[in-house]
Amino acid sequence: MESVTDKGPKPVAKVFTYIFLGFWAFVNIFPIYFMFTFSLKNNDEIFGSNVIGLPKQWIWSNYAAAMKTGNMWLYFLNSIIVTVAAIFISTMAAMMATYAINRIRWKFSKLTNAFFMLGLTIPLQASIVPVYVVLSNIHWLNKYTTLIIPYAAFSLSMAILISSGFMVDIPSALDEAAKIDGCGYFGTFFKIILPLMKPAVSTVGIYSFLQCWNEFMFANVFISDSVHRTLPVGIKALSGQHTTNWGPIGAALVIATFPTLIAYIFLSRKIQASFIAGAVKG
Amino acid sequence: MKMKRLFGGALAGIMAIAMVGCGKPAANNGGAASGEKISLNMWCIATESDSNRKSYEKAIADMQAKYPDINFTWEAFENQSYKTKIKAAVSANEMPDIFFTWSCAFLGDFVDAGKVYCLDEVYEKYKDELPEKMLANTTYNGKHYGVPTTMNIVGLFANMDLLGQVGYTEIPGTYDEFIECCDKLKEAGIIPFGCAGKETWCVTEYLESVIEKSAGADTLNAIFAGEATWNNQDVADAVDTFQSLVNNGYFDPSGVGLTNDEVKNNFMAGKYAFYMNGTWNCADFAANEEFFPKVKVGEFPVINADKSKLGQLIGGPSDTLAVAASSPNAAAAADYAMELGKLICHYGYLDGCGLPAWTPYGDTSSVNGLTQSVAKIVADSDTMVLFGDTAMAADSAATYLSYVDQVYGCLLDGDQFIAGLANDIK
Amino acid sequence: MKKFKKGFAIVVFLLPGLFLFISILIAPIAVSLFRSLYDWNGFSEGTFIGFQNYVELFTNGSIKFMTSLKNSLILAAFSVFVQLPLALFLALLLGRKIGGDRVFLSIYFMPVLISTVVIGQLWLKIYNPDYGVLNRFLDLVHLGQFKHVWVGEVGTALGSVIVPTIWQYVGYHMLLMYAGVKGVSTDLREAAMLDGASKWQVDRYIVIPVIKPIIKVSVIFAVTGSLKTYDLVRILTEGGPYQSTEVPSTLLENMLFIRNRYGMGSTISVMLIALCFAFALLISAAFKEREY
Repeated sequence: MESVTDKGPKPVAKVFTYIFLGFWAFVNIFPIYFMFTFSLKNNDEIFGSNVIGLPKQWIWSNYAAAMKTGNMWLYFLNSIIVTVAAIFISTMAAMMATYAINRIRWKFSKLTNAFFMLGLTIPLQASIVPVYVVLSNIHWLNKYTTLIIPYAAFSLSMAILISSGFMVDIPSALDEAAKIDGCGYFGTFFKIILPLMKPAVSTVGIYSFLQCWNEFMFANVFISDSVHRTLPVGIKALSGQHTTNWGPIGAALVIATFPTLIAYIFLSRKIQASFIAGAVKG
Repeated sequence: MKMKRLFGGALAGIMAIAMVGCGKPAANNGGAASGEKISLNMWCIATESDSNRKSYEKAIADMQAKYPDINFTWEAFENQSYKTKIKAAVSANEMPDIFFTWSCAFLGDFVDAGKVYCLDEVYEKYKDELPEKMLANTTYNGKHYGVPTTMNIVGLFANMDLLGQVGYTEIPGTYDEFIECCDKLKEAGIIPFGCAGKETWCVTEYLESVIEKSAGADTLNAIFAGEATWNNQDVADAVDTFQSLVNNGYFDPSGVGLTNDEVKNNFMAGKYAFYMNGTWNCADFAANEEFFPKVKVGEFPVINADKSKLGQLIGGPSDTLAVAASSPNAAAAADYAMELGKLICHYGYLDGCGLPAWTPYGDTSSVNGLTQSVAKIVADSDTMVLFGDTAMAADSAATYLSYVDQVYGCLLDGDQFIAGLANDIK
Repeated sequence: MKKFKKGFAIVVFLLPGLFLFISILIAPIAVSLFRSLYDWNGFSEGTFIGFQNYVELFTNGSIKFMTSLKNSLILAAFSVFVQLPLALFLALLLGRKIGGDRVFLSIYFMPVLISTVVIGQLWLKIYNPDYGVLNRFLDLVHLGQFKHVWVGEVGTALGSVIVPTIWQYVGYHMLLMYAGVKGVSTDLREAAMLDGASKWQVDRYIVIPVIKPIIKVSVIFAVTGSLKTYDLVRILTEGGPYQSTEVPSTLLENMLFIRNRYGMGSTISVMLIALCFAFALLISAAFKEREY
């Protein structure tokens, strides 16, 4: 195997490759580094004496300010609640739908699948007006579920696409064996299929996470009380309040970002593997 | 980040806006029995960075102490998202009991839809403290719907330190002197004007003053009220005048990418000589000990003396509180809103957030000098013209702002401006 | 009986998905179609006006729908012709078993995980005309003449939105493509190399054809994603200066919440959906054509 790599040339090319990769890595990391350092500085340093260096004095009070006026923890928690619930609902609904489409033979299964795939191209914005009007008429604004249900719905198509990829890999002999053992459709799904779909869950979860965690438009419009605000809206609100005092904004940005990034660093291998699985199966 | 406030000619009695029909005043079955514990909720825009924040806090504290039986909660939203929020809440009938609103068309739409509680009954109680002319902009079909708090005009703020560097001790009084002053400032490497291009209402603070002082207050008023066409050569010429200010490099070029808060901070940091904006800024300027001694406020000079004169101002009665018709305790909320509005006005005036809409009471000698100068300008004023974007209905206002934006960017000249507006505003 | 049981099972399994999908996605589109024919402010009764909204969309000088479309298409073009090639290039490089590929992969994927609002705020600080890192850097290297009010000038504002957008999602597409690249069997590669193919030839003639379906998905996502752009525009430029960076979604929002024109907002929704579908079909067709 080595021979193949070695046949490829020239240390020069290799150096260039690494320079390029390194440069791109720098481009990716630098804004994050900049965000972290300015979250610990005062305006004097940010604006003048020390733009991109490490802070001279580490001003942790910026974080206190972000917490106090920004309620960042609450928003973080809200984002987690909304995202997790949406992922759970969409994954469950997607698994069930996928089962009906792929494992039960019926006339319109292909058509139903195509119908769900329409959702991949429908923009979230398109439904904001009607959904808003309906939710408000039934007094369903300002609850966690106000966001959870639309998020789940918009994650559904992708979830079905990925789940299908996983489910066709499960040998259909298993279904037949289950049938012989006296399992109905429900028994087969819950006892046989669902446990085998575990890898799909993490993949679907990651794709849904990316979609729900960042969502701004619905969250901004549907939630008006600060108790149920999610992170993106909270950050927008906070930055409106501290336009000229950059430290606390930086702190809020870091609070919003680092827990996810740290989790990612620890789980990166697994997350990437799941993401990749999605690309292959989808 | 305040939406423009407007003053429906409280002094000149301009009530030109075609007020929409009142709709059916929603049945109000409020009126909580006394002693019964009720809850009231309020939304407003007095966020931490808002200059009105302190007056809201003090007023609310007073109210809560006075009415322990009323469980009062409130929430403040950032200005831009508040507009979204309140409109959404109105269409959904999910309004809080008391809400902050801008007068004229903004509140008018809600009144039109029958979503706002009529305050005529409760106003009787406060008649002596709140002059009826202050309600002009929130009166629709002869009925009152809003509790005004403070009122403001557009002021020409000047950093006298910078003006001193080019030999001025006063804000120049005539337009020619004013332009000469700008040229001198420019020569000395000082930027004359700061204006936040990211928030178009800041551009209108300049543009509307230029139009008013060129074409006259009555003309502008009639146009905003929809009684006269935009197709007016005087307006086109005024727009060209404004553009010549832009093209002469009087405006900070980085202003186009900044928000008003950023521009205001630049002004306080001594980056610009002039800053045209609402007089609510007096509070922030007064609070900055280092900057306050340097700043003066004046009136934009007359450009065409045949059509306009000093004393023609842009401005209006400012923030308003209104009560939702859907509130289960609407009558109690109306009472509460009145009293709260009075207190916010009182504390706001003391802080310098604006001039009082209510008759001032108590010791007001502590009001900062800048606000007092504004009070003098207003007392000497002749005509006030509503802020265009608040006077017009939402759709027209957005069209108007879009054209103002294009004028500021010199994408349109005066003739295109009037032709476009005459065509697109119905 | 058996047939009934089967039918019952199908219904039950599809129910949650269909419920979500129809109530949140499909029904609203139908409502939008209907409402787009009305002049309606959201609170009162609307009036039926036929296709006037559609006509006004293109004729009203202050609505700027054409500008918004143009901006979306420019963004889409940059996504397809800059972002995706870059992602593909990175994926191919990392697919060659070079050391440290895991680390690079992890780093490149990081921006994807950051909320767009955070990214917007962060870049706003980078672009700040007076204190931003970008202008400071230009000063430092004595290129002061290239300084700009990045988000405030007509010439640079759109670019200022495009750069972070591309920056954020390169990692996303790269990882998708990397998955495909890794899926190419080593035997195939080695066989080709033994035949004397260079690495680039292997990539060009073996790897890229294999991952074509993934590239197709990436292109569709990039284009429809560009049509849907909202967050970064809202935060970085607010559609300005002079509405030169409006995109359909910001116009949509303005219609709803600034102009009180729900009817016109629905019209824009309908246009947006139609465009997304049209492009998705077009791209699929383009890829099919060359598949032989």
